Amino acid sequence: MSALLTVLLAPLLAAVLILVMRRMSEWLALFGLTISAIASFSMLMNAFSGILPKIVIAGLPDMPLHIASTPLTALLSAMVAIVSFFVVLYAAGYMKTDPQKPRFFATMMLFVAAMQMLVLAGDWILLLAAWEIIGLSSYLLIGFWYQKPEAKSAATRAFLITRSADLGLYIAIFILIANTGSSNIAQTLDGPTSMLVGILLLIAAMGKSAQTPMHDWLQRAMAGPTPVSALLHSATLVAAGAILLIKTAPILPEESLLIIGVIGGITTIVTGLIALGETDLKRMLAASTSSQYGLMLIAIGAGVPLAALLHLLAHAFMKSSLFLGAGVFQHSRKSTLFNKLRGAGRDHPKIFIGFALAALALAGIPPLSGFFSKDTIIAASFSSSNAVLLVPFALGGTILTGAYMARAIRILLKGERLAQPLAGLHFMGSGLSVLVIFAVGIGFMFSQIAELLGEHLPENPVAIAFGLAAAFSGLALGWLVPARRLLGQILPWAQNGFSIAGGFDAWFVQPAVFIARQCDRFEQILYQAILSIGQAGLYLGRAARFGDERAIDKAIFAFVRNTIWMGGRARSLQSGLIHKEMALAVIGIALILAALFVYIFTN
Amino acid sequence: MKTDLILLMPEITVAIGVVFALIAEMFRASRTAFWITLTALAVATGLTIPMLGLDTFVFEGTYRIDTLSIWAKLILLPATVMSVFLARSELGGTDREGAVYILMSLVTLAAIFLSGVGDTMLLVLGVLLAGLASFALVAYPRNDAATEAAMKFFVFASVTGAIMVFGLSYWFAGTGSTLLDDLPLLGDKPILAILGLLSVLVGLGYKAALAPFHFWAPDAYDGAPVSVAAYMSVVPKTGAIFALAQVISTLPVSSGWPMAVSILAVLSMTYGYLAALVQNNIVRLLAYSSIAQAGYFLLAIVAIGTSDLSLTALVIFAAAYAAMNLGAFAVIMRVGRNLHELIAMGRRHVMLGVAMVIFLLSLTGIPPLAGFVGKFLLFAAAIEADFLWLTIIAILNSVLSLAVYLRLVIPMYQKAENKVALTPMPWVSITWIFALFFTIGIGMLAQTILGKIG
Repeated sequence: MSALLTVLLAPLLAAVLILVMRRMSEWLALFGLTISAIASFSMLMNAFSGILPKIVIAGLPDMPLHIASTPLTALLSAMVAIVSFFVVLYAAGYMKTDPQKPRFFATMMLFVAAMQMLVLAGDWILLLAAWEIIGLSSYLLIGFWYQKPEAKSAATRAFLITRSADLGLYIAIFILIANTGSSNIAQTLDGPTSMLVGILLLIAAMGKSAQTPMHDWLQRAMAGPTPVSALLHSATLVAAGAILLIKTAPILPEESLLIIGVIGGITTIVTGLIALGETDLKRMLAASTSSQYGLMLIAIGAGVPLAALLHLLAHAFMKSSLFLGAGVFQHSRKSTLFNKLRGAGRDHPKIFIGFALAALALAGIPPLSGFFSKDTIIAASFSSSNAVLLVPFALGGTILTGAYMARAIRILLKGERLAQPLAGLHFMGSGLSVLVIFAVGIGFMFSQIAELLGEHLPENPVAIAFGLAAAFSGLALGWLVPARRLLGQILPWAQNGFSIAGGFDAWFVQPAVFIARQCDRFEQILYQAILSIGQAGLYLGRAARFGDERAIDKAIFAFVRNTIWMGGRARSLQSGLIHKEMALAVIGIALILAALFVYIFTN
Repeated sequence: MKTDLILLMPEITVAIGVVFALIAEMFRASRTAFWITLTALAVATGLTIPMLGLDTFVFEGTYRIDTLSIWAKLILLPATVMSVFLARSELGGTDREGAVYILMSLVTLAAIFLSGVGDTMLLVLGVLLAGLASFALVAYPRNDAATEAAMKFFVFASVTGAIMVFGLSYWFAGTGSTLLDDLPLLGDKPILAILGLLSVLVGLGYKAALAPFHFWAPDAYDGAPVSVAAYMSVVPKTGAIFALAQVISTLPVSSGWPMAVSILAVLSMTYGYLAALVQNNIVRLLAYSSIAQAGYFLLAIVAIGTSDLSLTALVIFAAAYAAMNLGAFAVIMRVGRNLHELIAMGRRHVMLGVAMVIFLLSLTGIPPLAGFVGKFLLFAAAIEADFLWLTIIAILNSVLSLAVYLRLVIPMYQKAENKVALTPMPWVSITWIFALFFTIGIGMLAQTILGKIG
């Protein structure tokens, strides 16, 4: 119980402390995350031995807030804790000379706390709150270097696209609560509304996990600091979408699964091609993230969320390792463009080995973790009732992964060596190396994890064969054939982010701008109308003032004068002569007597 | 009989205090008389507190121990204490100083009897006792103005007292009893009921200074010492109003009392504020204001029997009125009787100025002060009793009252020309600080107090 709260509160407290003290921010952050990670691990150990604590906090009436540890949430929480700890360890070196360090680490802590809350949330309202905080902190982090115009616009774009997709989550939650009367996530739903809810949840997840056609913001989000990208792509922001679907997989109806699978399939191919055509290392990794999450959606679509979860875990370690490696190369070459990075791997051979291991893992080479997770996804797609549709997608995605990773390794390896001393390399190296170890070895844990969750890994020798073939052929293609030849006619299109007939701009931005212009014109008319109404009001007011001065004021003055005159009369009544006063009193008595008699005789 | 005496302990204490103070005064020990009076009043207040919630009577219905009479003691005894403070400050050191405390105690005793009156004879006794002691209080300075005022007061009281005794004989003729509890027997004898009611209105109307029986009040207040004026505007007035409430509570409606009382209310409120508007003597201004405030009290009386709020409203407004009126008089005592003496007072004596503004705003009925709570309850009671027209007139008069009281506030913050420092008066300061405390406290804690009444 206390471990459950510590997981959430330690990073939050660290954020507050950092903001208050404004120094030693990296140490405070690491300390908070250490505590959080220890708590998270004890929670995971408890989950293995069957102890599943749960905290209920009074929330809205009849809708208490739940924080619950289940095998699934404990596992995800541990993953978030590990990845965030090592990313922050890396960031301690990466951000060493940045004057805005406290702001950076405080926001990172908020980000991690929100992610833990999202993972552990047992009810929709808490989940929604966490979802929104994640959106906010990612906005703050992507726009961390707000002096750079591209960072600013990237932050806004990421925020707006994910926010519009969030509407799906809001509506889905409204429908769920309205129909079941409970905010508990475990509530199931039948009938046509469940289909609607499934699609709405999918939209929300597509926004956060950058699925086609909403994949564009993720690549632009590279404008933020590299540790942010590493965290964003592995364990937090992007993962939120997939985690949402994994958590809700039990309540999703059969029909919506197919849609999820197809969306995932399209994404994995489209963004895989984009990655292959990319000219910038970090943007390539970003596109690859979309592509890998596409694979996870295929697994969910195939009805095996376990496969998606395993790939999510493996991907978190692999992708964070890749980003951290890329960050080192970026520091050493002051750029992330492939042209500038040629031979950068030779500058820092140890870092490069880590990077290459993670890349091979991502491509799916045994015995690295990516092999196992991809294998389960392919096996899952074979076992699906829609195998005809999903298997080609899964295999295509695997081939593309191999191809673009091989291309990246080749570029980093072949070229001149430009050795330069680098500040903070120890922090970065140690953060990276542990993550690489996880990326390499986590695959051997999969059977225990499946056991913890009470499920079986789908096994299929045919799938293994196909998967291996796809991975190796992808690697070979990427190594041997230049991307230009591989993509051929579609290269410029892929480099453009597959802007279908003008892309996002033409389909969404320009209509929006058009509507905005029309609204503006309408508002001009409205403004004129209101202005003329105001003018008319002014004229009326002037007329009224004229009447006031001439008539009402005079009446009021007369009234006041008369009141004072009456007061004077009242005083003169008070002459001070006792017999007159007595007479007045008697007249008063007589009047009241008369009134009383009138009253009696009229009743 | 034994329990009757126990229930009468507060009254007996005050009477014993009077006797001992009188003895002390015989030995020219005014200071001792002062402390004896204070002790007796304080002990009597303390003895009253355990009685809260009782609803009974003593001496076979002659004297009622109910919400009104118990709260009357809790309001009037401390008000007397504050008046004694003021008197000590104003008249301390003069010859026969102790007589003032004794007379005040006697008037308070009479006012307390009035507020629990259950018999027409006790009513007459109370009015006469209060009257006799009051004449002496007004005449205390022994100058021309005081003597004339006391004389006028006496003539007025004699005439109205005679009318009252005469009128009450009709009630006795109709019921064969002097007990107020037998008044319902008058239900089928409206003429007798009316004549008696009229006489009671005259007798108590004079005591409460209700228009048109108020003529003595401005002269008496102006002729008397300020502390006596402050005392007279609070204690006998409240006693008379509560006595009217006691009488009305058993009087059959067929006598037409709601109409008669509401006529008096309208006359008092309107006449009082209109006359106050043109006064330049602050004591006279406050005298007229107290006539108008007495009219507001009647709003609760017309609601007796039809609204549950009427008793609560009476009690709260009485407490609020005592605090704010005594406070205003205390400030006047320090500053002076004339309007021009107020000029720049608020600039030179910041705390005193703020206190005066608060008292005046409370008299007007501005939230969150005591006067607002009192008036609010009065209006609510009257509306509940279907006297909407009366409430509207009362609200219009409140607007008029703002003009009256702002006439005092404005000079307080004008630029100073002459700089006259005020002499420090410790007892007066204690009084206005207490009054300020109650004026704000009753306003803020209205909810808590409401729960304790009724």
